[in-house]
Amino acid sequence: MNVVVRVRGLVKEHGQGQSRVRAVDAVDLEVPQGQTLAVMGPSGCGKSTLLHLLGGLERPTDGEVWLAGRRVDTLTERALARLRRRSIGFVFQAFHLVEELSAAENVELPALLAGCSRREARRRAGDLLERVGLTARARHLPSELSGGQRQRVAIARALVNEPLVVLADEPTGNLDTAATLDVLRIFEDLRAEGQTLVIVTHDERVAASADRLVSMRDGMFVDDTRLAGTGTGWLGGLIGLEG
Amino acid sequence: MGSVVLVVRLVLADVRRHKAQALMLLLAVAVATATMALGLSLRGVSDALYEQTRAATAGPDVVALSGDTGPDVTAALTALADAPEVVAHHGPYRIVYADLTTRDSISSPVVVHGFAETPGAVNRPLVTSGRWVRNGGTVLERGFATALGVGVGDRVTIAGRSYPVVGIAVTAATSIYPWAAQIGPGGGPSDYTGLAWMTRSDAWALASAQDLPVTTALDLKLRDPARTEAFREAHPVSTVRVTFHSWQFKAQQDMVILRNSRPILVVGGWLLSFLAVTGVAALAAGRAVEQTRRAGLLKAVGATPGLVATVLLTEYLALALAGGALGLTIARLTAPVIASPTASRIGDAAGLTGATVATATVLAVAVAVLSTLRPTLRAMRTATVTALTVTAHRPRHRPWLTALSALLPTPLLLGLRLTARRPGRAVLQACSTATTVIAIVALLAIHVQPERGYGLGDSSALPNLRGEQDRLLMLTVTSLLIALAVVNTITLTWTIAMEARANMAIARTLGATPGQVSAGLSTAQLLPSLPGAVLGVPLGLGLLSLFSARNAVDPPLSWMLGAALATLLATAALTALPARLAARRSVAQTLSAEH
Amino acid sequence: MQDAVLAMLAKEPSHGYGLRARLRQSLGPLGESMNPGQIYVTLARLEKAGLVVSERAHGLPERPERKVYALTPAGQERVAAWLIEVDWPKPDLAEFHLKLVAAAATRLADPVELVAAQRRELLRRLREAQHALLAEPAGSPAALLLEGIVLRLQADLRWLAACEQAWSKVDREAEDA
Repeated sequence: MNVVVRVRGLVKEHGQGQSRVRAVDAVDLEVPQGQTLAVMGPSGCGKSTLLHLLGGLERPTDGEVWLAGRRVDTLTERALARLRRRSIGFVFQAFHLVEELSAAENVELPALLAGCSRREARRRAGDLLERVGLTARARHLPSELSGGQRQRVAIARALVNEPLVVLADEPTGNLDTAATLDVLRIFEDLRAEGQTLVIVTHDERVAASADRLVSMRDGMFVDDTRLAGTGTGWLGGLIGLEG
Repeated sequence: MGSVVLVVRLVLADVRRHKAQALMLLLAVAVATATMALGLSLRGVSDALYEQTRAATAGPDVVALSGDTGPDVTAALTALADAPEVVAHHGPYRIVYADLTTRDSISSPVVVHGFAETPGAVNRPLVTSGRWVRNGGTVLERGFATALGVGVGDRVTIAGRSYPVVGIAVTAATSIYPWAAQIGPGGGPSDYTGLAWMTRSDAWALASAQDLPVTTALDLKLRDPARTEAFREAHPVSTVRVTFHSWQFKAQQDMVILRNSRPILVVGGWLLSFLAVTGVAALAAGRAVEQTRRAGLLKAVGATPGLVATVLLTEYLALALAGGALGLTIARLTAPVIASPTASRIGDAAGLTGATVATATVLAVAVAVLSTLRPTLRAMRTATVTALTVTAHRPRHRPWLTALSALLPTPLLLGLRLTARRPGRAVLQACSTATTVIAIVALLAIHVQPERGYGLGDSSALPNLRGEQDRLLMLTVTSLLIALAVVNTITLTWTIAMEARANMAIARTLGATPGQVSAGLSTAQLLPSLPGAVLGVPLGLGLLSLFSARNAVDPPLSWMLGAALATLLATAALTALPARLAARRSVAQTLSAEH
Repeated sequence: MQDAVLAMLAKEPSHGYGLRARLRQSLGPLGESMNPGQIYVTLARLEKAGLVVSERAHGLPERPERKVYALTPAGQERVAAWLIEVDWPKPDLAEFHLKLVAAAATRLADPVELVAAQRRELLRRLREAQHALLAEPAGSPAALLLEGIVLRLQADLRWLAACEQAWSKVDREAEDA
């Protein structure tokens, strides 16, 4: 199976001198094509930093990051930007939509950056917004959308260039239960289509929806659990008529 | 009392936190008020200098000039001296029209006044160095000597004869250099001319040996110096042509050399104030979010809207008033130099008039109020809770701009959206650019005006002092304007960069390169600069036409377009730096800071 | 469960298979393992207890699935009492807690490991419940039940996280000592 994300001996330190902190401490990781990986841990455990390192938003202090067989931690800013355009889709807790662009324009933005024609960008944005159920809201500004709707727009935006991997940082952190379910449903569809996903979360529900769960503490992986294909069938046994 | 303490404490704390901004406000207001006050006080200072020279040299109230010489003229002038209003007189004396050449071969027309070796009661030139005339030696008028670069002990050649310069003096009896001739030979027009004194016999000898044109003059002191006009009307001279020059007329003549200085300084003062307003407004706008939040905090702990407004305004007002005071001091110190470009007058400038001080103060207050009105009002109006949670105000949707920007490449798209988000800033930037271009057009226009040198045959060996003065002032004002515009542009770009950093970081996560992001930020500034630069050219020409002489020459169109283009290029270069710095910020940090 | 079956008959008499269909609709995937016979066993018990009566539908041979069941007055009373009854399943965490204490005390097992294993198990269950939940069509009554199960599991997982943190601290202190 193709490995999409590969990380070797990854270290990231923040701060200087005495206040130097190892946010990520010698992490090794491989994410095969089509896997949904959840990274869980208490706040400050370094999980967001790990995600930033994977997406090239930060540079590692040490170690290597490979994306689809290409080493990316040594790339220039410019090359990294190009890489993000085509290969990575980001989803953030705070949505991070461009406030002055409508939902559709936000989704079009990465496509335009990647050099798509206006027509093509519009078509893709239309398709994706339909998919996340926001066709009717395409022309609304983010400020006119609910949190859940904004996050769906952000997911659509992350998908517009058909990225190799979608990196989601606490995607449901600001959402209520119903909106969380909407997002999980979209992730479930993506999983079914074989989209590689890395989700950083402290929400057990989101973590449990993944194929694999890595637990992080103090910058290190402390547990790596395969969740997929281990159905226990316990649900059906929950209810009996006796008693 | 408590609230005063609170206001002062808050203001001081804020100034300490934003030293650079406080300094910028102070300097911008100082420069604007100094220029304006200088322009407004030129006439007063020039009058004061004339007045002081007049007092020091027993300046005549009226000079009667005849274009001719001879017994008739002498008789007619002597008759005037006997008039009952006259309390003292000097002359009649000869004025010889000659050429003067220095050892450096600089030549100039000169009028030689033949004076007694002991000065009389009226028109006693004040010797500022060396001594008064004696036979065989000449005394040069100080403005003339300074222009020639001649001092006591040098030799000059007048009408082919060599004379040592024995002294340098000033007088209030003639206009300042180069208008010493007052009338030409035979009463006709005169060239740019300097003034020299000789003994009567030397002047006579000079005139008769060379057969030079000679005119006659008489200096009169009146009982009532104010009634010069009445005296002229009461004594029409019929036998010969006599021209009367009153002291008021001479004082007026002194202003001729400042004819362009005044509009340059006053209009320059307005433009500088305008830029100061835009610059401070840009600063204030950049801090609007912070100010609004602070206002919210104050309201939350029980401050009234009035107190909130007082705190916000007091800081800017105090700084602006300090800037105004600084500007007035600068104006006071530089006024004698600016108001007297020649060395023909002595004395010190009188203090600034109340009107000038008032105007400068109003200007400073206006800068503070105009540039902070919007943020202050917003801070007062915003509800407390909203203010505390405010991050940035919500953008308005502009579908037409969206539609337009959809056709553009990505950096332009980002830039246009940023511009659309802050229409006020765009206007400020456009105004700033337009002002700069106006100043440059004026500077170019001043440089292409034809002008005659003060030397012999309009030679430019002796430079045209008025032109020099105009160019120097224009250059200074333009430099100040450009400096303020540069600060404005950097401030505006930085403000926009700071406000747009979240969006720019998002664009980076979506794969925009740092180059694209900084190009976008630069574009956001360049777009409004473009109409500003284009408008600046006709505005500059229009402004010039209000003040320039009828025969003024417009600078070539290519120069002006070049200036507009250069301004745009400079703006692009200036915006590149803050934009690049902003684009370099770590995306991860920016995004987590925005949570 | 008997109470639930009784309550379903309160609206109108019903066939056994109708009851089963309604139960399955309400329970979703949780009702899947319920075999057809179970409902009749329950109904027979209720009938014996005098809470329901059955009536054969006419013209058909006497088979249990053709019987129509209805509430007796006693059944009505039982349903009314059940509906106003305030009862809630007790959270049963004491056993696992004691297991951890025992493991730590006897040193027969590492409590942190026990927690981790339990956590993995609960996560798998959560995943299953969540999948089931996502598969439910919008507005299905079973979705609400599944949501409850998911939230319960989530709460349990959070408790396990707290256990894990506390027991690793105990571990570390033991090591330090």
